[in-house]
Amino acid sequence: MSAFIKDLLELQFLQNAVIAGIFCSIASGVVGTYVVLKRITYIAAAIAHCILGGLGVARYFSVVYDLPWLRPVYGAVFTALASALLIGFISLRAKEREDTVISALWSIGMAIGVLFIFKTPGYNEDLMSYLFGNILMVSREDLYLIGALDLVVVGLTVTFYNQTVAVCFDEEFARTRGVAVEFYYLLLLCLTALTVVLTVSVVGIVMVIALLSLPVAIASRFFDSVWKVMIAAVLLGMLFTLSGLVLSYSPNLPSGALTIVIAGAAYFLTLAWSSLRRSKVQNSSPAAAS
Amino acid sequence: MKVDSPAPVVQFSDVNFAYEDGFTVLENINFSLEYGEFACLVGPNGGGKTTLLKLMLGLLKPASGSIKVLGETPGRRQANIGYVPQFSKFDAAFPVSVLDVVLMGCLQRSFFWGRYSDEQVAMAHRAINEVGLQGKEHRGFAGLSGGQKQRALIARALVSEPRLLLLDEPTASVDVHGTEQFYNMFEELNQKFTILMVSHDIGFVSRQVRSVLCVRKTLQIHPVSELTGEALQQMYGLDVHLIRHDHRCSDKGHICPHL
Repeated sequence: MSAFIKDLLELQFLQNAVIAGIFCSIASGVVGTYVVLKRITYIAAAIAHCILGGLGVARYFSVVYDLPWLRPVYGAVFTALASALLIGFISLRAKEREDTVISALWSIGMAIGVLFIFKTPGYNEDLMSYLFGNILMVSREDLYLIGALDLVVVGLTVTFYNQTVAVCFDEEFARTRGVAVEFYYLLLLCLTALTVVLTVSVVGIVMVIALLSLPVAIASRFFDSVWKVMIAAVLLGMLFTLSGLVLSYSPNLPSGALTIVIAGAAYFLTLAWSSLRRSKVQNSSPAAAS
Repeated sequence: MKVDSPAPVVQFSDVNFAYEDGFTVLENINFSLEYGEFACLVGPNGGGKTTLLKLMLGLLKPASGSIKVLGETPGRRQANIGYVPQFSKFDAAFPVSVLDVVLMGCLQRSFFWGRYSDEQVAMAHRAINEVGLQGKEHRGFAGLSGGQKQRALIARALVSEPRLLLLDEPTASVDVHGTEQFYNMFEELNQKFTILMVSHDIGFVSRQVRSVLCVRKTLQIHPVSELTGEALQQMYGLDVHLIRHDHRCSDKGHICPHL
């Protein structure tokens, strides 16, 4: 802990990591609340995995054709938005089995990513950091991008808060009120896509969904209002990512994985605590009656 | 209640509806509802009750025929319809307060910056009082009893001051005593609104109901008989009226169980 703080003051990559953790928690707490309440965690996971395709293709062209401006994250943003809109239109229009289509996109995106990363000259260590995240590799430029995405996500959420909450709560009623349900659904998927892109840098593709859903799952047990759940989820997300970062530092563990283990442990402790409390209430009432 | 508009609140003329696989749900539906009506829609599951409701809300479009709600094709004047779905379909853990839910009834077709005004909040409080949930404004919706959730959803429909209330099985999973309270509330609401209610209690409807629409692919309107049965009253603990079953809804026999 003290070693971490000492290094934090000196090493820029560590400062970047802390800022990245804080920035990501803001977007993932806010958008994760919608994802959990609208029950689209499966779609969020599919978008996350599709991103690998965009990362892989962008990196391949950047290396092979020497295009330094083409950063992998641009490919990620493009693929995330494209897959979100594609999934959105499919689930709104098509009569196909939605989950089958989503699964197909999920694996095709990954497969394309693996192929391009395999054919990219040089070391392929990046594949691991895409899949499992490496918060210590976040650069200053990455931070600007993450910060900008944060502003977009939070701005749109604040602007459309009432409508999006109503669509999550009761889509049909919102439609009878004249709310453009399709628009807000697609907006929600796009926000999810952007959030997934910036969260990938912290915990990686495979574990994005945990950072989106676990803080919300904990927070929603304690609050009766969506914005309170959002704020609590943001704070919990910060707690998890920063403690993951600090605790992984000295033993040199992968911080993304440790973050998720901490969040998961907190979630199951909350579950255990609330079921314990429930059984206490149930046990005490028949005892009082007899 | 007489309102300036002479047209019926709801008018179906030769309406047919079929799903894309060709399965006919509604056939040749003709009926109209006058202002101030309190009508009850009954019929078997899959008979087309919900489809009929969704057609009125503009959520579905008829294959043929014309539907007028408040003088216009559904989809245009939805602000004047208060729709109350069944509470059981909601996420039991959704973090919203009663006031939040009721305020959703104020939403309109607007794209930007939808903050609720003080006036809308005041209207929401009035609607909450009207359904008897005062003091529970800031309670979580998830923690309410079934009947209270249903009341909150009715308040959400009332807040926009609609002219037509559509209720989808409002007394399903409410006990007999609660059902009586609900019918008393509907009677009061009927002073101000035209009410169409889908009812699960096939065969019996409250004494406030004036006419009964029986739907099973086709539709028949039954007047409500003046007869009151003491035995029924004892059984239900309510002042119930009998539906006249002296004619048939379809050639296969009557859809409602015989008394």
